Amino acid sequence: MKLYDKLFDAEKFTLTNGKTVSQKFTRMPLIILMLLIGITVSVWVTGFSLTMLFTNITGFWQILASMFPPKLSYFFQVWRPLLMTIQMSFFGSFFGSLMALPFAVLAASNITNNRVINLVVRFILTVVRTIPTLVSALIATYIFGLGTFAGTVAIFLFSFSFVGKQLFEYIETVDMGAYEALTATGADTPRAFVTTIFPQILPTYLSTALFAFEGNVRYAAILGYVGAGGIGMILNEKIGWREFQSVGMILLSIFVAVVIIETVSQQLRKYLS
Amino acid sequence: MIKFEHVSKTYPNGVKGLQDINLEIQDGEFIGIIGMSGAGKSTLIRTINRLNDITEGQLTVDGVEISGLKGKSLRQYRRKVGMIFQSYNLVPRISVIKNVLSSLVPDMPIMRVMFGLFSKEDKIKALEALDRVSMLDKAFVRTDQLSGGQQQRVSLARTLAQNPSVLLADEPVAALDPVTAHEVMDDFKRINEELGQTVLINIHHVDLALEYSKRIIGIRSGKIVYDGPVSGITKDILDLIYSKDGADK
Amino acid sequence: MNKKLETVLSKEPSRRVQYSITGAILLILLVSSSPALGGANMTSKGFEIGWNILTGIFTPDTSLLFGLGDSGVAYLILQTIAIAFLGTLVGAVIAVPLSFISATNIVPRPVVLVTRFIIMAIRTVPSLVYGLMFIRVTGPGPFAGVMTLAIVSIGMISKLFIETIEDLDTGILESLDAFGSTLFQKIRYGILPQLGSDFISILVYRFDMNLREATILGLVGAGGIGAPMIFALSAYHWHQVGAILIGLFLLVFIVEILSDKLRQKILHG
Ligand SMILES: Nc1ncnc2c1ncn2[C@@H]1O[C@H](COP(=O)(O)OP(=O)(O)OP(=O)(O)O)[C@@H](O)[C@H]1O
Ligand SMILES: [Mg+2]
Repeated sequence: MKLYDKLFDAEKFTLTNGKTVSQKFTRMPLIILMLLIGITVSVWVTGFSLTMLFTNITGFWQILASMFPPKLSYFFQVWRPLLMTIQMSFFGSFFGSLMALPFAVLAASNITNNRVINLVVRFILTVVRTIPTLVSALIATYIFGLGTFAGTVAIFLFSFSFVGKQLFEYIETVDMGAYEALTATGADTPRAFVTTIFPQILPTYLSTALFAFEGNVRYAAILGYVGAGGIGMILNEKIGWREFQSVGMILLSIFVAVVIIETVSQQLRKYLS
Repeated sequence: MIKFEHVSKTYPNGVKGLQDINLEIQDGEFIGIIGMSGAGKSTLIRTINRLNDITEGQLTVDGVEISGLKGKSLRQYRRKVGMIFQSYNLVPRISVIKNVLSSLVPDMPIMRVMFGLFSKEDKIKALEALDRVSMLDKAFVRTDQLSGGQQQRVSLARTLAQNPSVLLADEPVAALDPVTAHEVMDDFKRINEELGQTVLINIHHVDLALEYSKRIIGIRSGKIVYDGPVSGITKDILDLIYSKDGADK
Repeated sequence: MNKKLETVLSKEPSRRVQYSITGAILLILLVSSSPALGGANMTSKGFEIGWNILTGIFTPDTSLLFGLGDSGVAYLILQTIAIAFLGTLVGAVIAVPLSFISATNIVPRPVVLVTRFIIMAIRTVPSLVYGLMFIRVTGPGPFAGVMTLAIVSIGMISKLFIETIEDLDTGILESLDAFGSTLFQKIRYGILPQLGSDFISILVYRFDMNLREATILGLVGAGGIGAPMIFALSAYHWHQVGAILIGLFLLVFIVEILSDKLRQKILHG
């Protein structure tokens, strides 16, 4: 950027009263150039082609159309795996969020006064968070065997790292006055935390956990793809067998479930804030 | 008895908060500490509770050198020394009585603390403290619904509930209007007289300090420039404490 | 004295019922969710595999990790970034008009209800399903990945775009009207400057998310770093798995830091 500013002189305006105002040369050409390079490289690497897209897109619409009308009777096979998906999400989100609390406390520098502990815990949270849930689910199936447990573990890990990060960042912004006052009465760190910080973070904590749960229900639907249980298993199967009306029914069921859960959860979150 | 002997405090960034302080405070005294902003009033008061550590000299309370206290013994010491802050430092989201009860948690088993299980005696203790500052009727109100003066009273009640022998107050009335300020100061005075607790208050308003304290300590640039009875305060001494220039003559 | 305190104490509002109900509901939900623990079948083999993956991470296949060829981690990362980048752009191109016809301050309520329903429906279909559908259009490979990400981005991008559009300060438009500006001028000087930085920041955020999505598209054959990882996993090539996991971690981590910085800069100058 420095070089760029040197290359292109700043524009100087001299006002009638002799004052000068200078404006840096606009960065627009540079930004556009970088965007163009980015697009060109990406198109080349991915083999993106508008012509192919427009000639073949009918295939996409055909599959979509063949999902209608969804095969309603198929619901009797859908509800069990769907319920299982929700159960996995709930279990994983619940314990992940629970586990996140002590880690968030250890990661927050205003409560845990030890730089090394702060950094180690943050590193753990970051590593866990960067591994995509589907990848951890896949690895979990190798370790724990195929089935819902692997999916629950993956959701647990995601919720743990997500809630942990959000929570520790929030703890660091909390008002420390009451905490100091309790320290002054002779309370130790755990007691002071529980009585003064915890009531302050509780609504945000619950609401973050609920938010993670909402996202997890949506996400858990694909975990079956790697054999980690839930509705993704039959989804995968039906797509493979090209039974698109059943696929439509599965998607419809997920849609309804997600809408219901999101509505309830959003209502709860509104109440919390 | 609180005794400062050649106490100095240098902050990590090099600022000298206190310089060679010598003080002797008897039990049951009511002391007002005055001085300009940045003079070191807060630093002085906070060292007594060990919210700040001193860097030189000796600070003994009832014959115990307090800079040597650590962990459990430090927490036990703090039980005896109550602290009240300018910004109340209450948890806004919880009820008044919960805030008062919070000063009792250091003596409670951690499991009870976690689930907020306070015994009936504890609750009575908290209500008594609230009664002393005439806030009994607000016991179950959420703290953030109170006015500033009321919150400062709750904060005072919280400290009273721990039954300390020394009360430290860092500008407790700075954020209050004159009438409310007088009411809160009256509370301090009554507590000092009825319970015999030592009271040390930092005050911005000289009038209030002179009206309520029996002894005044004047600080400037981390040094004590006056220490004596209220009657000894003259215009010259106030000038010395509050004048802008010639800090270190 | 004590009488008075007792009477006050007796007035303490009891939360016991509220707490017990909440606790009971949670307990019931938890117990009824316990089938989620089914299928745990940790054998000594599973333990061994877990251990192998760990050792793989610490002893990665260096020729794969540092290789510059078509199968090296560097190229896979480039491909993943490219998929996420194009996917975000294409998604934005679709999302912008969709957002304008879903904003309550631009179109009437009934229209908004319909378009929002559509957005919600688009959002519900899992990415892998789109992936499988697009493979029928483009054949397997990164192109399918681009289209998949484009579609799955639409939901979030338009949701955030709509919020921005509804926050538009119309006062500026009025003052431009007062100058006698044309419609084009109003959009150019009244609307775009207000939306621009928010839109870009939303896109950067979505790019960050798409990058994570892009790492799993390989599962359905839609390109990116995910595919070789599956192969390596199923072939028990732990050192390769380790190399790819390291690449994945670095990629996601660095992009997250950069995108946070960039968004700070865009939003706060
Ligand atoms: N934590 C700290 N780190 C470094 N310097 C500090 C710290 N706290 C206070 N100081 C400095 O120490 C000096 C005394 O501060 P102190 O807070 O005791 O003043 P005060 O008399 O209470 O002022 P005020 O009336 O504004 O509250 C000031 O120069 C202040 O800048
Ligand atoms: Mg002060």
